[in-house]
Amino acid sequence: MYGGDEVSAIVIDLGSHTCKAGYAGEDAPKAVFPSVVGAIDQMDVDETAITEKNSGSAVDSKNIVKTLDSDKAKGKRKLFVGSQSLGFRRDHMDVLSPLKDGVIADWEIADCIWDHAFRECLLVDPKEHPMLLAEPSSNTQQQRERTAELMFEKYKVPALFLAKNAVLTSFASGRATALVVDSGGGSTTVAPVHDGYVLQKAVASSPIGGEFLTDCLLKSLESKGMMIKPRYAFKRKETRPGEYQTVDLDFPNTTESYKLYSQRVIASDIKECVCRAPDTPYDESSYSNIPMTPYELPDGQTIEIGADRFKIPDVLFNPSLAQTIPGMENFAEIAPSVRGLPQMVIESINKCDVDIRRELFSSILLAGGTASMQQLKERLEKDLLEESPQAARVKVLASGNATERRFSVWIGGSILASLGSFQQMWFSKSEYEEHGASYIQRKCP
Amino acid sequence: MEAAVVDAGSKFLKAGPAIPDQAPSMIIPTQMKRMPEDGSMDDSSLSEEIIIDPVVRGYIRDWDAMEDLLHHVLYSGLGWEMGNEGQILFTDPLSTPKAVREQLVQLMFETFNISGFYASEQAVLSLYAVGRISGCTVDIGHGKIDIAPVIEGAVQHIASRRFEIGGIDLTKLLAQELHKSNPLVNISMSDVEKIKEQYSCCADDELAYDKTKNSCQIEKHTLPDGQVITIGREKYTVGEALFQPSILGLEAHGIVEQLVRSISTVSSDNHRQLLENTVLCGGTASMPGFEDRFQKEASLCSSAVRPALVKAPEYMPENLTVCSAWVGGAILAKVVFPQNQHITKADYDETGPSIVHRKCF
Repeated sequence: MYGGDEVSAIVIDLGSHTCKAGYAGEDAPKAVFPSVVGAIDQMDVDETAITEKNSGSAVDSKNIVKTLDSDKAKGKRKLFVGSQSLGFRRDHMDVLSPLKDGVIADWEIADCIWDHAFRECLLVDPKEHPMLLAEPSSNTQQQRERTAELMFEKYKVPALFLAKNAVLTSFASGRATALVVDSGGGSTTVAPVHDGYVLQKAVASSPIGGEFLTDCLLKSLESKGMMIKPRYAFKRKETRPGEYQTVDLDFPNTTESYKLYSQRVIASDIKECVCRAPDTPYDESSYSNIPMTPYELPDGQTIEIGADRFKIPDVLFNPSLAQTIPGMENFAEIAPSVRGLPQMVIESINKCDVDIRRELFSSILLAGGTASMQQLKERLEKDLLEESPQAARVKVLASGNATERRFSVWIGGSILASLGSFQQMWFSKSEYEEHGASYIQRKCP
Repeated sequence: MEAAVVDAGSKFLKAGPAIPDQAPSMIIPTQMKRMPEDGSMDDSSLSEEIIIDPVVRGYIRDWDAMEDLLHHVLYSGLGWEMGNEGQILFTDPLSTPKAVREQLVQLMFETFNISGFYASEQAVLSLYAVGRISGCTVDIGHGKIDIAPVIEGAVQHIASRRFEIGGIDLTKLLAQELHKSNPLVNISMSDVEKIKEQYSCCADDELAYDKTKNSCQIEKHTLPDGQVITIGREKYTVGEALFQPSILGLEAHGIVEQLVRSISTVSSDNHRQLLENTVLCGGTASMPGFEDRFQKEASLCSSAVRPALVKAPEYMPENLTVCSAWVGGAILAKVVFPQNQHITKADYDETGPSIVHRKCF
């Protein structure tokens, strides 16, 4: 039992695209930064130095020495977290994500991200604040125990709670029963929540998320000949007063992953400004004559985007469209099993008990960054009305404010952690010491 | 009685009664020297003293020293009487930890027994001083640089950035550079500080800075103890460090690039508003040539994200850049205290220090 008095809890939501962290009780997270890190493998730096120096010596002995070294120094990498550090281009810096399929795979990176959130963004000492962490609906028992271990042993938090993303979103809208459609960066998950508990057997997820759409847009623009130059690759010079010239800078040691990351940042900005969900399913002929929208890239180039404005968002509803974009052929392998958004919703509801289906249909919540796309709510409602049974009253709810939709999981956590009645539900340090990490299954359902 | 406005910076503490359109009546250094016998006083030079900085990188760290400093400011400087304390408005830098704010409120109500308290963020106040409620402030102070977009009086925390570099790092850089060019002369930090304020300026642009490597005006300066040093390229290096942080050894972009990136993070509907109302404030931003260089670098950005600096209104004091947060505080104090939106002693007694998070944002 943890009885906090006036010490506010900290809510952290480590998503696939951004990490949101802040104090409970506030209406928006204070720290929002990308949940990827830049990693410079110390071995890469040493290797290039070694090969440059020993270009003439015996090859065998050098190889043996190198393999020994690589076994020893495997864990040594320098990590850079946060939008400021990531924004600066460094040689040999790879961009890595701690998450795989929505769950944490690389614990060192996740640890680094949490550390950055506490020490540099929020400027708090984790020893003094209870932590509420948001976890994906598909988190395994092993993952939760590992999280608890990390939090209690390394950060020495006084109390911890792990809440599922879907449950937090439904709290944010004030409902205990809802169908949560969480369309975030890395994936889209449809999860029904009933009386505050996620119905695990009915959870459906698909790998199509904001990042997938950004990649589609990037490939589509490249196939049309519009190259997006990453921010670090050019510099503007004033040749004469009033006249400017863009000079290309070349950095040969920049990794592919960093270049892709920088291009994605620009492409996702284009996507957010320009893309809209179409009112009817996309087909090439009807959209071939629409007027083009201009967009100015950071290097001064202006590009025109026409049919892509509607084609890219329609991938959410009709995933097979992605195969028509040149460059996305590798998607064809997983394409058959991926369904569109309306199909996932219907499937998920059909897996639930007949009694609650009606309630779920009338409270479908939209959450996540991609869900704040314009006209998405209207299109989803329309598609569901066509596919759902006659008797069901379909209602899709989304808060009007785009920021609220993006952070709805975090806001739900903020509300939960500041409720008076929640204070007795914390998994406290003394309980961890007494019962061990596996107790978390009982305390955090 | 007028409410008092206090802006405690890492170098200077600005305080005065809340009369807008005027510079603060007290601008005193925050740095204090501890004397062995009695408490701390400001700026007297005797041997055997320890230098204390109560405000480090913008945040209050040494609370005992701060208490002594505020004691001097309120009772000797502003002329308050014991037992008849008035209302006070404080300014906070960006991302102040909750604990620091609560401790300040506690200090004011319990030790000084003031009747009313309010705290506001420096970024918002600097905008009020130039007559705007939305815009982007670039606050280049002694201990830190804050870049904060503000929309309708609310700081967008998600997009704001804070850097732990400031005037103090530029002073160290200058000391290093002067030592390289004048190896026989030993210069103390406070002298370097004065030299920096007197001589440093910004080159017109990067090309002009590179040219100074070959040819530059050399000036001679006489130190208080009689030694003579030459200052040449160093004066441009100090200004250049803000636009090319690699001079300071940091892996970061220049200040205009950081501003543009920060604004890009905010949703694009508000970009126009933020870019057209960019305000420079802070002591280091008043370096000669800084504003022009800033405008020049800004014009190199693509027209979608080109910052434009705001002109201060004519009725504001001359050195607005240095004390804009204080002036904004004076304007805000005129609104908040008469309308009873501040924290009163009764509120504090009832709820405790955490009331600062509810009443002041």
